[in-house]
Amino acid sequence: MTARLTVRALLVAIAIVILGVFPLVFSNPTTTSIAVFTVIYMVAASSWNMFSGYSGYIALGHAVFFGVGAYALTLLANHLGFAAGWGIFALVPVAGIIAGLIAIPTGLIALRARRHTFVVITIAFMFIFQLAASNFAFTGGSSGLQPPTPLWSATSYNDHFYYVAAVILVATVALSWLVRRSRFGLQLFAIRDDEERARGLGVRVGRVKLSAFVLSAIPIGMVGGVYAYFLGQIFPQFAFDPLFDLSIALMAFIGGLGTVWGPLLGALVLESLQQYFTVQSGASQVYLIIYGGLFLAVILLLPRGVIPSVEDLIRRWRTRGATQDRSRGEGDGGRRADVVKAAGAR
Amino acid sequence: MSASSLAKAVIDGILTGGVYALMAAGLTLIFGVMDIINIAQGALIVLGAYMSYVLSVHLGIDLFVGLIITIPAFFVLGVFIEWAFMRRLRDQERTAMSILVTYAVAIIIEGILSVIFGVDFVQLQASYINSSFHLLGFYLPYIYVFGFLLAVVLLGVLYYILYRTHFGRGVRGSLQNRSAAELIGVNVNRVRALSVGIGVSVTAAGGMVFGATNSFNPSSGYDLISRLLSIVILGGLGSIGGALVAAVFMVTLEDVVAVVWSPVWATLVYYASLIVVLSFMPNGLFGRAAIRAQ
Amino acid sequence: MTRSRRQALIVAAVAAIAAFVAGCGGSSSSSSSAGGSSASTGSGTSSSSNKSPITIGTSLSLSGDFAADGQAFEKGYQLWAADQNKAGGLMGHPVKLDIISDASSPAQVVTNYQKLISSDHDQLVFGPFSTLLTVPASKVVNRFGYAFVEGAGGAPAAFGNGLKNIFDVSLPVVDNLVPYAKWIASLPASERPKTAAYATSDDPFTQPQIPLAQKIMQAAGIKTVYNKVFPAEVTDYTPIATAVASSKAEAVVLGSVDVPTVSAFVHAFIQQHYNPKSFIATAGPDQGDAFLKAVGGASNAEGIMYPNGWYPGYANAASQQMVNEYVSKYGGNAAGVNADVAEAYSVGQAVAQAVAATHSLDNSKIISYLHSGVTLNTVQGPVKFNSLGENGAAAAFVFQWQKGNQVQVLPVGASGSKAATYPKPNWGS
Repeated sequence: MTARLTVRALLVAIAIVILGVFPLVFSNPTTTSIAVFTVIYMVAASSWNMFSGYSGYIALGHAVFFGVGAYALTLLANHLGFAAGWGIFALVPVAGIIAGLIAIPTGLIALRARRHTFVVITIAFMFIFQLAASNFAFTGGSSGLQPPTPLWSATSYNDHFYYVAAVILVATVALSWLVRRSRFGLQLFAIRDDEERARGLGVRVGRVKLSAFVLSAIPIGMVGGVYAYFLGQIFPQFAFDPLFDLSIALMAFIGGLGTVWGPLLGALVLESLQQYFTVQSGASQVYLIIYGGLFLAVILLLPRGVIPSVEDLIRRWRTRGATQDRSRGEGDGGRRADVVKAAGAR
Repeated sequence: MSASSLAKAVIDGILTGGVYALMAAGLTLIFGVMDIINIAQGALIVLGAYMSYVLSVHLGIDLFVGLIITIPAFFVLGVFIEWAFMRRLRDQERTAMSILVTYAVAIIIEGILSVIFGVDFVQLQASYINSSFHLLGFYLPYIYVFGFLLAVVLLGVLYYILYRTHFGRGVRGSLQNRSAAELIGVNVNRVRALSVGIGVSVTAAGGMVFGATNSFNPSSGYDLISRLLSIVILGGLGSIGGALVAAVFMVTLEDVVAVVWSPVWATLVYYASLIVVLSFMPNGLFGRAAIRAQ
Repeated sequence: MTRSRRQALIVAAVAAIAAFVAGCGGSSSSSSSAGGSSASTGSGTSSSSNKSPITIGTSLSLSGDFAADGQAFEKGYQLWAADQNKAGGLMGHPVKLDIISDASSPAQVVTNYQKLISSDHDQLVFGPFSTLLTVPASKVVNRFGYAFVEGAGGAPAAFGNGLKNIFDVSLPVVDNLVPYAKWIASLPASERPKTAAYATSDDPFTQPQIPLAQKIMQAAGIKTVYNKVFPAEVTDYTPIATAVASSKAEAVVLGSVDVPTVSAFVHAFIQQHYNPKSFIATAGPDQGDAFLKAVGGASNAEGIMYPNGWYPGYANAASQQMVNEYVSKYGGNAAGVNADVAEAYSVGQAVAQAVAATHSLDNSKIISYLHSGVTLNTVQGPVKFNSLGENGAAAAFVFQWQKGNQVQVLPVGASGSKAATYPKPNWGS
């Protein structure tokens, strides 16, 4: 048991080290630029997964929190007269908290609905925020807003944003992992597997769902702020972008919904591949066909996502010839939640 | 703002609502029967519009007559999509996975259309597109009236199939309880394939009317899909009549707000009212209570 | 626990591989000589008898929302490069374009310009399409000290950010409608429209234009009977168009950003049997053939006016030559040439003149030169940059579709202006 723990801790340490030294090794601004966006998406996918993956409620409106974070950071930076530079990063947690506050009323309304209706309500909220941002003067209307521009040198400019995003990433993954192992996480899984039964066994379903919803909004709000600062410009249709929602859902699915590392893998692969593809592809629209085809292939061949499927393969290879073990449905985080335990341990 | 401009807004809303109902009908059928959120619906509509475009521009076939070709072609396409992609989705996470699969299909369709047709905007043309007839002091454009009538007819046919035929009973039965349906001899796979085929074939008509009333290019599908999803949920999953009512409600509300208040708030008011309605009627206007656990 | 351990292992392995690939992809370009490994440039140093090529990088929206304009821009840049090479290139070196696609995404455009500059080591860069992409791109380019000459980012949001490196060769957007407003206001009272309707899309490009025009027209006694903003993403223009039609305004000023918007209004007006005496739209009618196809032919386009800095019939020798080359290379006819082509071509010309004048590829010298108040010549006319980077010498023309051709009609009396058709002939007549 101790040995396993040590190996696992070692692997996590290696991952963190890689995360930390990446821009020092691959210092080309193109690569670090792609890296900043990739890390931002890793946070977003992981955070989204903390709610949608664990509870089974597919939300397609988390762009609300991304946009709120972006606008919050920019508005605060401009109105409080922050000078461009490291100081503005202090506003990032504030942006996250504001996003979390917004998640409370929106979550209260949306979570009263059944799953199908819930999806549409989250989409509706996304559009409401996008339209509001386009029409209010204080958000700059359709011209958007610009935060101050720091004067860092071109070669190391991206690294500042990368490290801030990387810190958020480590915190988010840690949070995701902690939630998963906690009683709270078990309750979420119970809700995912059978909500009525969970409720009947005493799980405070409404409160649990809302807490997860709000929790998942905060990291997304934070990276929304980082994004706005990095780009130097926010327009409403890009801050509140339906494609953002589809992308993070896709990333979490492909990596493995409900796992801790799945969304990271999905975001890593999809975002860096996507930027790389676009840069190389030029005018040919054929890349769209290839891109879509790749998606389809992955989804159909690895329906539970990369990590759980690869896991399955490894397990089956290992236990080949051995007696059929009663599958515990691991990997996709679909381990049969111990509902009784979740309800009992309160 | 006068009474007549208000009345005009309502009339416009009803007619355009018919167009949207036609586009959403296939979606509600597939969603309701298969539990699948078909994100590719927007792309399919654009595909339908392009098919009508090709028939009209290169073969000189009238838009409505061309439906005789596009509707069966889309039926085959729908059956293919169900067999190739949707059948592989396991029941457990079907809804969630369907978002991804259909999104990938939408991207592929967009890519193919871009390669064939390029990115310039086109619009379906016909002699009746710009003409209108005079009624009670209003000009009613022919194309919208035809589109509305087409919507009513096709939706009526759909309703008939679903509620008055043996096949339809099988469809509704397998929605409620797959194992029981199989037990009494319903070939669930075939029923599902045919349902998707029918849903997609109606979309061909929706695409034609859309293309006649809007400029479009291969990327035009994305703007549509959020609205269509909201119509389907508002109307009630699987309810054909609900889709019509919800679509008319949506467009009429937006049109009235645009006239009474301002166009910039029209869409926002719609989405806000959607949330309000769904909070009180979580199954939509005409949805039945959940039959099985989610 | 075993499952998590394996997960972490897999992630670590894949992460390492992905990082390795990304790093290789990024750094391999930087390790080779100028020219890099991107798709369009080809090899670096050429044979000994030629001088090494100068690479100019640009990010264009070859797919996504701005694809139609992005592709037109690409053609413009390429035409310029071909012509420049025929004339001996830049300082004797052949010009090679390094074009990558940004799929109309601001996040992509940020990465793209970093790739062009720090991976591909392009000596110069040209701007992308649209204010929405120009703003983030200009900040990136500024960090590297490069000049950022562009032809399609003209909304006020692009300027006044304190950036000294941004130069827009095209007409500043805010003045677009002024010649039209002045002309309408100057018509004799018996002919002048009594009422006007203003409808604009919610967009940083169109919204600033309307108030200026409205002020001039109101001062001439033209009453505003409709004045609304509509969302850029509206899917049904009918109620707005119907409201404009119901207002029975005699002049319609439409702030549109693309063909579908104008087309929807035109169709709705025809259906409502509404015929204003004058109709001007800020964008869409400038798109040549694409516009005609969408509105249903030349007869429906008849009389519609639009502002621009250029049109295919512009009486400028270089412009005519560019139009002819375009037609022979890409087909179609002269009237169908998209104004974006000329904007892109002008960017190339401005940069070429700056390079020739400073005898160098040094971006800071180029920036100083362009800010020195010098007047340059392009296919869009004269170019002179003010301190913000706007082209103060740009002429604001207004064009009108007449019998399937785009005809310059305003300013009245300007060289090349023909008589405007007024009032606009009724649709369907």
